[in-house]
Amino acid sequence: MNEENNSQFQDQSLSYLSKEKYYNDLILDNSRSMISIINRNYIYEKVNATFCNALRGLSGSIIGKSLGDIWGNETFNNLIKPNIDKCFQGCTVRYEASFTTPQSGKRYFEVIFRPFPVDSGVITHLVAETFDITDLKLKEKFAIEKEEEFKRFETNLPVGFMRCGPDGQIIHVNRALLMIMDCDSEDRMRTTNLRDYYAETGIFDLHMERLSDNKPKSFGRVPLKTYKGTEIVCRISGYMALNESGKTEYIDFAFEDSSHELMLETRLLEAQKLETIGALAGGIAHDFNNILATISGYSELLMEDIPESSPSSGNVSKIMMAVSKARSLTNQILTFSRQVEQEKVIVNVYDVLKETVGFVRSVAPSSIKIKSNFRKKDAPVLADPTQLFRVFLNLITNAIQSMEEKGGTITVSIGYIGEKEIIRRELNRNIVADEYILVTIKDTGKGMDPSLLRRIFEPFFTTRAVGKGSGLGLSVVHGIVSEIGGEILVSSEQEKGSVFYVYLPVSREIWKAPEMKGQRKKILFISGNKYESRIMSLALESTGYEMILVYNPTDLLNSVADRKSLPDLIIYMCDSSAVSCDDFAVIYNNSDFKVPCILISEADQGILEEKLVISGIIRQHLVKPVSLKEIKDAIQLSINQ
Amino acid sequence: MPGILVVEDDNDLREMLKVSLNRKRFTVLEAENGKDAIAHFKPSVTDLVITDLIMPEEDGLKVIMKLREMKPSLKIVAISGGGKAGPGSYLNLAKALGADEVYSKPFSVNEMITRIEELLEIEQD
Repeated sequence: MNEENNSQFQDQSLSYLSKEKYYNDLILDNSRSMISIINRNYIYEKVNATFCNALRGLSGSIIGKSLGDIWGNETFNNLIKPNIDKCFQGCTVRYEASFTTPQSGKRYFEVIFRPFPVDSGVITHLVAETFDITDLKLKEKFAIEKEEEFKRFETNLPVGFMRCGPDGQIIHVNRALLMIMDCDSEDRMRTTNLRDYYAETGIFDLHMERLSDNKPKSFGRVPLKTYKGTEIVCRISGYMALNESGKTEYIDFAFEDSSHELMLETRLLEAQKLETIGALAGGIAHDFNNILATISGYSELLMEDIPESSPSSGNVSKIMMAVSKARSLTNQILTFSRQVEQEKVIVNVYDVLKETVGFVRSVAPSSIKIKSNFRKKDAPVLADPTQLFRVFLNLITNAIQSMEEKGGTITVSIGYIGEKEIIRRELNRNIVADEYILVTIKDTGKGMDPSLLRRIFEPFFTTRAVGKGSGLGLSVVHGIVSEIGGEILVSSEQEKGSVFYVYLPVSREIWKAPEMKGQRKKILFISGNKYESRIMSLALESTGYEMILVYNPTDLLNSVADRKSLPDLIIYMCDSSAVSCDDFAVIYNNSDFKVPCILISEADQGILEEKLVISGIIRQHLVKPVSLKEIKDAIQLSINQ
Repeated sequence: MPGILVVEDDNDLREMLKVSLNRKRFTVLEAENGKDAIAHFKPSVTDLVITDLIMPEEDGLKVIMKLREMKPSLKIVAISGGGKAGPGSYLNLAKALGADEVYSKPFSVNEMITRIEELLEIEQD
């Protein structure tokens, strides 16, 4: 209250008019709004106490001043004057403005201009009423910010949000949920019911029931279907809002897509399972090898005791043949469980793949096309080439078998993938290299259903008839690839085909064949299978031997006669089409060659003429599949003997 | 005849080796595990040792090292069946530790004996 009013209050001889003015001023001064009367020249003619207080001035210092003086010419001309002019045309004007004062910072105001007097027809003044709406404004602003913040959460987080009505009718979904549910518009989803997305509606009903106690619930992983019907798994939590009478108002749900996480978990679990089986199988194989050593030892003793003419002699040979087969089996198990010693050299995967494809082409039925549109590449990997051959041969043979009935196409490709791709594909194994070679083998065969797909690397897991295939093929492949530090993944669709992805770490080591004592040993390698023998010789050359390849056993005589110097060793590797190991052993033993010889026979053939081995010029007999380590050891033993 | 110590935890296999070696008139000493082999080692009558590599109570690698220490001229043949040990290369290790020959099970006993005769420089019949 100002001094002028106080002096009036003390005046005893107040006329009715001055009393009325006094009351009016009292009301005006006690209003929380800033009130002023402005004339057509934009001059303040009357201000209330609130106005004076806000501007920290006396009414005397404001009355008579123009608005431009008080508020500054810029504010006046741009903001105040246009509104005042509009008001003088006869309408009430309302606007919001903010001013920053040094005392109280930024304040927000709502300003109302009313024409005055209203009824005379000639507007001479206007009443300006200004409310401080700063608190309201700040609250509003806070609310908007909060909402935007929430919107950002809702939009940016990869968590799907949904609000639905009491019956599950979808009211609102966020962008993430649209993505999870593979639907391109919210409107489309709003025409559906949450129930439609549950793989089992029974679970939906159960969730609704559990939510009805008004408490938030997590339901863990739930199998769902997308808008388009694809099966997915989401982690779901929900909250049911109830009104005062206990009726459901709405239900909110959060969805996290855990299909990917589940896939990784399953992959890890499978890897662990394989490790466990491997350890178990490896242990059994170890004990079994002890038993086999005993059997083969006594058989050898028997062989010595029994005269060659006795019919029992053949029987003992058969025991020894069975031991060979069993040995090959335990060896496969040990390869799967990564417990065999390996001889590794730097090998170009491209070369091995090319030979494998060449070999398979030569034996595959004509109904099966093998496409390999890859160009020569430098793809160095530290591995046993003969093992890599087994990997590719196995995968391509499987592909052929899956297309046996209808025929089809196998596509083999090879390429590099870098670090980013390794991470994207989330390879399980410890990353051992910056770069990986990716060999892809794709078929258009029967494919496999997911339950089968999960188990294909388990030993003795086979879909083939009993007796057809050992069920160890893919286990061995897995063992070999893991041992190299690679990984093998597979995707498959029933009736469409399967794709195997073999990742092999690139080795940039500079390879030098180990120095051999004395002269480089020369090995004559005879085999009807030129592809496999090329891989073998590739492997042996990297370990320091000089290799001569002959593809026809009958060429043997000529090829040796042609050369001035005899080889240090002859290796005969039998394949199904050529002279059997037994026949070769007899022929070779009766020839006048004095060069030591190693026989490699097919896994299912064995050798009956076991007694020709070791005792004579034939030093060793190996059964396929033979690893580089085995053949190298055999060579060393044979040459040294 | 030279004495051969057979260190092998599998009784049947050890017995087989003993029978085979006896046939060639070798004197055979036996040990069931590495610990026994080391404890009861008789350098004066042992010319060669055949040892398994993976055994309970002191593995074969230790046997190779200890016995070599006790008798540097001792010949050593190591045998291994793979498994249990994990992906290590036990046979290669054995070779590095001085085994004269290594065999992985199952092996040909005749082949092994031929080699043993070579190692002991015995005229073959």
